[in-house]
Amino acid sequence: MIYDVIIIGGGVTGVGTARDCALRGLKVLLLERQDLTAGATGRNHGLLHSGARYAVTDKESAAECIRENKILRRVASNCVEPTGGLFITLPEDDLAYQDNFIKCCREAGIDAEAIDPKEALRMEPSVNPALIGAVKVPDASVDPFRLATANALDAMLHGAEVRTYTEVTGFIKEGDRIVGVETRDTKTGAEEKFYATITVNAAGIWGHHIAEMAGCEIRMLPAKGSLLIFGHRVNKMVINRCRKPANADILVPGDVVCVIGTTSDKVPFEECDDIRVTPEEVQLLLREGCMLAPSLAQTRILRAYAGVRPLVASDDDPTGRSTSRGIVLLDHEKRDGIPGFISITGGKLTSYRLMGEQATDLVCGKLGKNARCRTAELPLPGSEKDLMEGAKGLKMAEKAAIGRQGTMVSKMDFANKSEVLCECEHVTRAEIAYAVKYLDVHNMMDLRRRTRVGMGTCQGSFCMKKVAAALAEELGCPEKTDEFVQEYLRERWKGMIPVCWGDALREAEYMRKLYADKAGEGEER
Amino acid sequence: MKFDVVIIGGGLAGLTAGVELQKKGLRCAAVAEGLTLNECPREEFIKLGGTLFPGDSVIGGHIVDDGDGKSLEWVETRNLVGTRLEAPYYILSTGKFFSRGLVSNMEGITEPVFGCDVEYAGGPSEWTVQEFFDDQPFEKFGVTTDAESRVKIGGKVIGNLYAAGEILAGRQDIVTTAQKVAEQIIGRKK
Amino acid sequence: MQDKNISKDNFEQCLKCNLCTTVCPMMAANPHYPGPKQAGPDGERYRLKDPKFFDLTLKYCLNCKRCEVACPSGVKVGDIIQKARLEFGKQHNPVRDFTLANTDLVGSLAVPFAPIVNPVMAAKPVKALMDTFIGVDSHRTFPKYSSKKFTSWFKSSKAPSQEGFDRYVHYFHGCYVNYNYPQLGKDFVTLMNACGYGVRLLDKERCCGVALMSNGFGAQARRNANTNIGAFRRAGGVVLTSSSTCTFTMRDEYEHVLGIDNSDVRDNILLTTKWLYDKVEKGEIKLAFKKDYHKKITYHTACHMNKMGWAIYSTELLRMIPGVELTVPQQQCCGISGTFGFKKENYPYSQKIGQELFDTLLESAPDVVACDCETCKWQIEMSTGLTVMNPVSILAEALDIEETKRLNRV
Repeated sequence: MIYDVIIIGGGVTGVGTARDCALRGLKVLLLERQDLTAGATGRNHGLLHSGARYAVTDKESAAECIRENKILRRVASNCVEPTGGLFITLPEDDLAYQDNFIKCCREAGIDAEAIDPKEALRMEPSVNPALIGAVKVPDASVDPFRLATANALDAMLHGAEVRTYTEVTGFIKEGDRIVGVETRDTKTGAEEKFYATITVNAAGIWGHHIAEMAGCEIRMLPAKGSLLIFGHRVNKMVINRCRKPANADILVPGDVVCVIGTTSDKVPFEECDDIRVTPEEVQLLLREGCMLAPSLAQTRILRAYAGVRPLVASDDDPTGRSTSRGIVLLDHEKRDGIPGFISITGGKLTSYRLMGEQATDLVCGKLGKNARCRTAELPLPGSEKDLMEGAKGLKMAEKAAIGRQGTMVSKMDFANKSEVLCECEHVTRAEIAYAVKYLDVHNMMDLRRRTRVGMGTCQGSFCMKKVAAALAEELGCPEKTDEFVQEYLRERWKGMIPVCWGDALREAEYMRKLYADKAGEGEER
Repeated sequence: MKFDVVIIGGGLAGLTAGVELQKKGLRCAAVAEGLTLNECPREEFIKLGGTLFPGDSVIGGHIVDDGDGKSLEWVETRNLVGTRLEAPYYILSTGKFFSRGLVSNMEGITEPVFGCDVEYAGGPSEWTVQEFFDDQPFEKFGVTTDAESRVKIGGKVIGNLYAAGEILAGRQDIVTTAQKVAEQIIGRKK
Repeated sequence: MQDKNISKDNFEQCLKCNLCTTVCPMMAANPHYPGPKQAGPDGERYRLKDPKFFDLTLKYCLNCKRCEVACPSGVKVGDIIQKARLEFGKQHNPVRDFTLANTDLVGSLAVPFAPIVNPVMAAKPVKALMDTFIGVDSHRTFPKYSSKKFTSWFKSSKAPSQEGFDRYVHYFHGCYVNYNYPQLGKDFVTLMNACGYGVRLLDKERCCGVALMSNGFGAQARRNANTNIGAFRRAGGVVLTSSSTCTFTMRDEYEHVLGIDNSDVRDNILLTTKWLYDKVEKGEIKLAFKKDYHKKITYHTACHMNKMGWAIYSTELLRMIPGVELTVPQQQCCGISGTFGFKKENYPYSQKIGQELFDTLLESAPDVVACDCETCKWQIEMSTGLTVMNPVSILAEALDIEETKRLNRV
């Protein structure tokens, strides 16, 4: 069978492109070598930029951000929380920067308004009370897992096929033209071939390697960004520093946690698959974070994580900050003489939809298909309407499920599967069963990205066994429970050890007591 | 309030020692901040006449140097404001990190009640290893003692303050350390 | 950075060990209640995100604080729940809740009509009406109102003689003593006077506010708290109480739940038995008891006594009475939780929770049950038929007054 389009990469760009292609009636196959959102999509702030951050340095990106920001508030309402944002000036910053900043914002179409520092403190009590200036902007918080998953789900509902844990190992060519891909199932090792008229490289930083396999070069610059997650929200609004963008100057409230980030350092390509946060980065993030919201000093850090931005190099700046955050769409037929192959990269979470639109426009052009993009109009599954308003008398776990899955809760069997399995995040058996049925879940990590299972304060310590057993049963492989638990413990541990002091160390001791000290589970020691 | 032994930390170690001591006729008080993960002989301790202060914690004590060496004279708790607990012997059995017998931050690890000497290595990045299922260095950290299980502060032994259970440095069997401390105290009493 | 393990209510310190859920009496009796961890720290993370996550089942929390006593991490689980209820909760039954919560107002109105009010409130048809229309369970009888307030008695018969002492204490009598059971206040005066202390009342006293807080009347509770704290400040020294719940509310809940700074007076607010024990231990007060006093007593540790950690003072004092044979069973909740158990919808839960305690008490077959809490007293008396006395009353009853006076050079 021949697909119209194969999309490589299950990040937000890939699934966004897949949804757009599917909505325009194309026959779509999406390939992802790990899980959806396993790369940079699931390893960032979760910030829906207003564009203000780029207003001074990159007006084009800024204008793009505010346009997309407005669209996503509408079509992805269940993934976006309209928190608003503040850009604060601290005594050590130059207050003069603020005027130019507001001017640039307005030129880009961003509604930026200077407010009295006292008013800022009232709106956002966690903000550093030493502030001497504040600007209110329409930043928002977006859940990248939810956003990408809703795109993938809608793509599937419109006929797209999604294959995770399927790695592209090579291209099938007819002359210079790419006509398909060779793949390997990373779980079973099984090899397969798929054919399509057009192949889209949407693999983020790994797109560098995909392009090499295809016989061309995209000069990408892997820029590692580390972040810290705190146990709960200290802030209601996004808090930024009003100065030239620097390290660790954004604090975002995301779902029930808040996230400080990021650092930015060039890393070699070899490290992109196993990226770790260093003690120095943790110190820096914490120090700078406390400048934005001093109470972070008393707030428990749950874990540290890092992602790699797929920046496309425009000069030799090692920090990657002066590269444009603009969208890079490459027609390799024109650029490199490779027909049937295009790359969509650069950009940012906020502009993923536009990236999908531009890539799909190019695909349609090549296929001679004349169909209009509708992703700016059609709400994503789950975002059709806000169910929270009528949820007052519902059980906590049902409300939490609405918060995560929006209108898709109608697919959940709360009557028979009401048991709360993950208590920190109030996840029921019903939501787990739903995720398994609709959201392409193969293991605990996948389930975590779809439902927040184990993302809470205990990092899964208390409920992971119950959750693993339920998942294994829903997947029809109850014998895998222990394997799920062990796999999950290792993954959680990785994020805990960079911040393993204070309460995180207490949690670590508890986790070890529960799972490593007992006979049976500790067999591998 | 006067007792023969005041036990600081009412978990498995403290109450195991408490039960042994009560059986020998020593009147014990145990201050227990919350319940513990390990099963511990709470009911037996109370049945033998031990006094349990649940949900309370020792916030400090008075250490004197009488020439022969240092000793603990009394302790005070958060709840019993204005009432001191006094005894000729004390047992420190507040556990490790989970039960907050040891407190850690980015800079290091301390014993929060008396500031007892704690054995640990390096900074947070050296307290764990990458593989979850391997033994973790932090699990061996704890207070150091002399041969008779008495804690030290600034290298000096506190003559009547014994440590038992998980708060001790190294990986030791909880019940064994508790029994050892109980024997030490019973021996001295004779 | 990150050098102090502190946070408001120790919320950050919750490790989700679930030890609190093993001691929650409501969770064991009521499948609708999600338990202290879920209602407290787990729910709080979501409420911080959006108040819409406030869960109506939080109304089932008894505020017994057993979760806090069990918590190895010092998390103020109960405080987190109480605060959420005050902030987001709405009254379920405004008329009934107002009547139950406003002990001061209702008490003042009822006392002058006690001869009428008491039989009326106890009459079957009235109880049936209250059950149906107001939602006060018909099994309950409102505690009887006294025909003369404690304060009236004190002012007319005792106040002048109190100025003859060279040492004195202030007494916070509370609503129960004032409107329902002045005898306890009289016993307190007897005890203090025998020990050489005169008694003074505060220049102003309002209900401690515990019922207002648990029924969601936050603003009024704050007004009461500020009035009382002002009176404590003016009083200067020690203020003694005879109710564990009032004591606990004024020492801890004022600050933790209502956010009122009481740090300058907190250490002065003391339960009588705590104060007396410390004085006896230091040799500042000596007690002598009647030779012929014999009683078999079972001490019930009220949940708030357990939380304060002060049951030891009451039991140690009772043990000083030579003729007392004292039993102290493991702490259990009686289930009434102040006004909670009066509400029709809660009555079955209250009784289910208390059953184990009732059995224990009946099995110990005491002459009298001793308890520092008046609402436990109502519950135990109604559910077991046993007589419940405050330790202050027992001490006053057992005291050899003349000998005690002599020892304290009165």
